[in-house]
Amino acid sequence: MQKLIPSMVMVAVSVALTGCMQSEKQDAKVTINKYPYPSTYQVLPQQKTVIQNATVLVGNGERLDDADVLFVDGKIAQVGKDLAVDGATIVDGQGKWVTPGVIDVHSHLGVYPSPSVESHSDGNEMTSPNTSEVWAEHSVWPQDPGFQAARAGGITTLQLLPGSANLFGGRGVTLKNVPSHTMQGMKFPTAPYGLKMACGENPKRVYGNRKQAPGTRMGNMAGYRMAWAEATEYKRAWEKYDAEYAAGKNPEAPVRDIELDTLRGVLDGEILIHNHCYKAEEMAMMIDLGKEFNYHSGTFHHGIEAYKVADMLAENGNCAAMWPDWWGFKMEAYDMVEENVAIVDAMKNSCAVVHSDSSTTIQRLNQEAGKIMYRANENGFKLTEADAIRWITSNAAKSLGIADKTGSLESGKNADVVLWNTNPFSVYAQAEQVFVDGAKVYDRHDEKYQAQSDFMLGQELIQE
Amino acid sequence: MKLFKSSLIALALASATAANAASLAITNAKVHTVTEAGVLENATVVIDNGVITAINPETVTADQTFNAQGKILTPGFIVSMNQLGLVEVGAVARSRDAGEKKADITFDASLAYNPKSTAVAFTRKGGITRSVVAPNGGDDMFKGQTFVVNLTGDYDSVIASQQDVVLELGSKSKGSRATDLQKLTHKLEDAQKALDKAAKAKKSDKKDKKEPKRGEQAINQILKGEKSLLVHVDRATDILAMLALKERFNLDLVLLGAADAIVVADKIAQAKVPVVMNAMRNLPGSFDSLHAHLENAGKLSKAGVKVVLTKNDTHNGHQLRFNAGNAVANGMDYDQALASVTANVADVFDLDSGRIAVGKPADIVLWSADPFELSSSAEKVWINGEEQVLESRQDKLRDRYMTQSVMPKAYTK
Repeated sequence: MQKLIPSMVMVAVSVALTGCMQSEKQDAKVTINKYPYPSTYQVLPQQKTVIQNATVLVGNGERLDDADVLFVDGKIAQVGKDLAVDGATIVDGQGKWVTPGVIDVHSHLGVYPSPSVESHSDGNEMTSPNTSEVWAEHSVWPQDPGFQAARAGGITTLQLLPGSANLFGGRGVTLKNVPSHTMQGMKFPTAPYGLKMACGENPKRVYGNRKQAPGTRMGNMAGYRMAWAEATEYKRAWEKYDAEYAAGKNPEAPVRDIELDTLRGVLDGEILIHNHCYKAEEMAMMIDLGKEFNYHSGTFHHGIEAYKVADMLAENGNCAAMWPDWWGFKMEAYDMVEENVAIVDAMKNSCAVVHSDSSTTIQRLNQEAGKIMYRANENGFKLTEADAIRWITSNAAKSLGIADKTGSLESGKNADVVLWNTNPFSVYAQAEQVFVDGAKVYDRHDEKYQAQSDFMLGQELIQE
Repeated sequence: MKLFKSSLIALALASATAANAASLAITNAKVHTVTEAGVLENATVVIDNGVITAINPETVTADQTFNAQGKILTPGFIVSMNQLGLVEVGAVARSRDAGEKKADITFDASLAYNPKSTAVAFTRKGGITRSVVAPNGGDDMFKGQTFVVNLTGDYDSVIASQQDVVLELGSKSKGSRATDLQKLTHKLEDAQKALDKAAKAKKSDKKDKKEPKRGEQAINQILKGEKSLLVHVDRATDILAMLALKERFNLDLVLLGAADAIVVADKIAQAKVPVVMNAMRNLPGSFDSLHAHLENAGKLSKAGVKVVLTKNDTHNGHQLRFNAGNAVANGMDYDQALASVTANVADVFDLDSGRIAVGKPADIVLWSADPFELSSSAEKVWINGEEQVLESRQDKLRDRYMTQSVMPKAYTK
């Protein structure tokens, strides 16, 4: 009853206010729908399941030997020894390993799908240095057979990004790796959007060759700064409109700009930066750029030289997503070291991620992480499997802003789980079963759980 | 004949580089000979003058002895169909020598080989001792000719040049694949006709003989079996077309890629045509490669096809051993997988290496453990009996940035 009184007062006041501003009749409030292509993802048929007596890498740095993983209603219920399992489907994990579902923060599946045909090459709107207005989700071909191959490698979540020809390539989208004939059917509910930015060689080459800006690295920086300055004005204009409207005035709404909507989303902290940026000196500038315009510089992708600035990345809360050993294809990929990820990871408060950017290696991010762990340990590190798994699970989830939902086997998280036939950091490791939200989406030994894209259906010939 | 020639060169090189080297006995090794002798436990391998001179001799006489402590010794791995030493940085035009718009069947990229490329030392760390380098070529369907190097990084590391002819067939972004097949057939027909005519005319009329052009000579060498024809091809129809040409002209044919090989595996095996492939290729990259699969390497090998596994990536040839491991994980027999990166490569490309046997050049690798595993590493690499340095520019960079110093990193060397 007490609660009711102030509300009634409020109502009275607002009536009074509108009452005295009869002259300023308000037009309908202009609002922006920030989620116009909503997820229609439905959890596949799932049941209470327990994997017993396995080696469990929790994803938070912990390892449990001879342990059980219980998931109920699509969530991790418990991880531990000898769990009560009444009514659960039992999976024998003896001699096997369990990890969280693998997450790739950098994929072009669906937007640069297989087969690589002109008709489906939709991953990079290479028509202007700033294409913040494009959304990768609008290019996704869900029938890319690469999604199935990645699932067989334990990938349960992936971010699809636009390409790197532009300073601002557009929005990335995070998907659950479940088969669907629409993009929305795969879309990870509530995952924040990413904004792809690109440093260095690609933008200056693509546009410089067309005799337009940017043609240099300083041109790149100028392009980012001009865009952020404009976005800052745009944000201010909308905030002014909202404030004036709230004050009962009838302001004119700013002109809607789809490109600036995305940049504003970053300034509002709703969209995360995913920045293709190889080199130490460029990462340093991109961090300052974020500070100049009051946004966080996010995750650096392909950070070949992240090891040179590992301390700076940790201090500023940047994730770095890296390959184990790709190099040599351009100057900014020349200074590769195989211990890059380990060096970044060694810093306090670091966020080292292993990514693929490849329809091939996305199928084996476990091996990619393994190579790093072993090379690093040959050179003085003392990394364990429990450490290395974070690079492709919890740290990746953090980079994507979904660490509260997936990326580890802690209670309450989504039951995104992989059962491996052996130590996942062995070259002989195979994902045997893969679960998304507790539902089995792949089984290496049961064709019933091996999805096939429309494209491949009926294409395969029997050996003559 | 070709084999004989390259062996001579290899021997000459071996003696040149290792003439003064002390003889070495590697004892107590688990030796994967990749010969009929199989795997030898607690074995001794003696190297002298760059060559393997004895395996398990009754008495060991060598200047030096190295106890392998039971670790695995294999032939050096051989990577193929890459541009090692021809490309330092992919996107830096002036560091690329693998292609040329107007390159034709005679293109000999070995003249551009740079043994000091940083990729050489890095690749060597992966237990790779030789590479069969293939040019990218240009617009012509013939991309040029392969050459063979060892990975010492020395200026005399080109073992053999102008070896085999690389040809690219199959789907095209402009025009029809039929044109290329037709062109190839005509070239072979015309050359064969000319050869036959010359053979007949030999005795009676010498005036009529014209020296064939260099490109024609290369085709003639293919027809005479002096050069293999290495054909990039994927779709089954193209594979079958090449098998037919092989039969008709008695070609020394090698299939590269061959995504659809699995569909016609028996025919390939019958024709004794080897397949050079990347074991990791499993996506339908085009309508020509709908049958790419992780299990193909193992299945082809089981069907009796001689398989060569390669990692045709200029900078990451060191991953060859992991590709072999993945092939095993997907059904390939372990020994077959090992042969596919050693002895089979040697057989297909006429190299006198790839096996641990008396008389072979001492290209051998000592592994910390299973060479296919991510966790293992090449602990020692010998090429022509000489122990190699296993440090690359990457190691220097790592050490620089992991060394504490009050001075800028540039002072840490």
